[in-house]
Amino acid sequence: MEQSGTSALLQGAVQDLSSDVVSALRGGDHVRVAGTGAVDGLAGGLAVAAVRVLGADLLLPHILSRTPAAPEALTVFRQTVEAFPPRADAAPIVVWSHWAMSRTLRRLDAPQAGSPAGDEGAEPEAGWLDEATWPFLTHQLAVLAPLAVPGEDCAVARVARSRPVDLARGFVRAVRRRDWQQAAGAGRWLTLLDGVPDTLGLETGLDFVELMGGSDPRVALQVEAARAMRWTGAFV
Amino acid sequence: MPSTDKAIEELTGIQSVDIEAALDPAEPDGVYRDSRECAALALLSADTKLLLSPPTPRPKKG
Repeated sequence: MEQSGTSALLQGAVQDLSSDVVSALRGGDHVRVAGTGAVDGLAGGLAVAAVRVLGADLLLPHILSRTPAAPEALTVFRQTVEAFPPRADAAPIVVWSHWAMSRTLRRLDAPQAGSPAGDEGAEPEAGWLDEATWPFLTHQLAVLAPLAVPGEDCAVARVARSRPVDLARGFVRAVRRRDWQQAAGAGRWLTLLDGVPDTLGLETGLDFVELMGGSDPRVALQVEAARAMRWTGAFV
Repeated sequence: MPSTDKAIEELTGIQSVDIEAALDPAEPDGVYRDSRECAALALLSADTKLLLSPPTPRPKKG
């Protein structure tokens, strides 16, 4: 599908941010959040929009390692949460993505009255997944991979927990379709779930996804996240 | 529209619809593996039959 110039620009910025997160996941360093030092420049504005698209995964290294994020990164993250509230008629994925960012902010930022970090943030509904076919379920969960975090519960995670075999089928389908981003996102969820068939060969499958699709930092991010979670031995 | 959002839009031309489209992407069309990739997969999964089994044959209708 051909992208507009704006979309391509935005996706490029998301890839740059993803690379920063991958580096942090591999090296245990702070997320640098390059280009987000200010929102009053072209690069800064673009990067803040990219932060909204990348979502909660921007600070995933700090969630997994239980280390504080750099103040600058946290400031940009908070500004993004405040600047891009979901519209009333936004798609469930957009609403959940924003909720995931707010949850991350609550975990890493000291609560402030009136700020998203201080709000409890009512959990959105996950009813749109109730009757989801396994391909659709896998696609939606892969897009919402930032919600796949050890020790964090939510309605979407409960849906994933209830359908590990469907998600495993979706992982295989995504690999067969060469949809590496979907495969990586599904693989990240599967890493956290009980009841995944041993015959899936998840670890080897993720290696393959990285081999074939890892040049895309968004794919590499999901694979690295899955590995980091596997190493910690944590479950949803 | 929040001021930050407006500033971003003015500076970059990125509108909310672009961001929402990126957040809620449609599933891309599938592109299936070629034999070279199958060989790479076979090397990676020597001990298993990961992903190499063809789809289960289904009876034809009619």
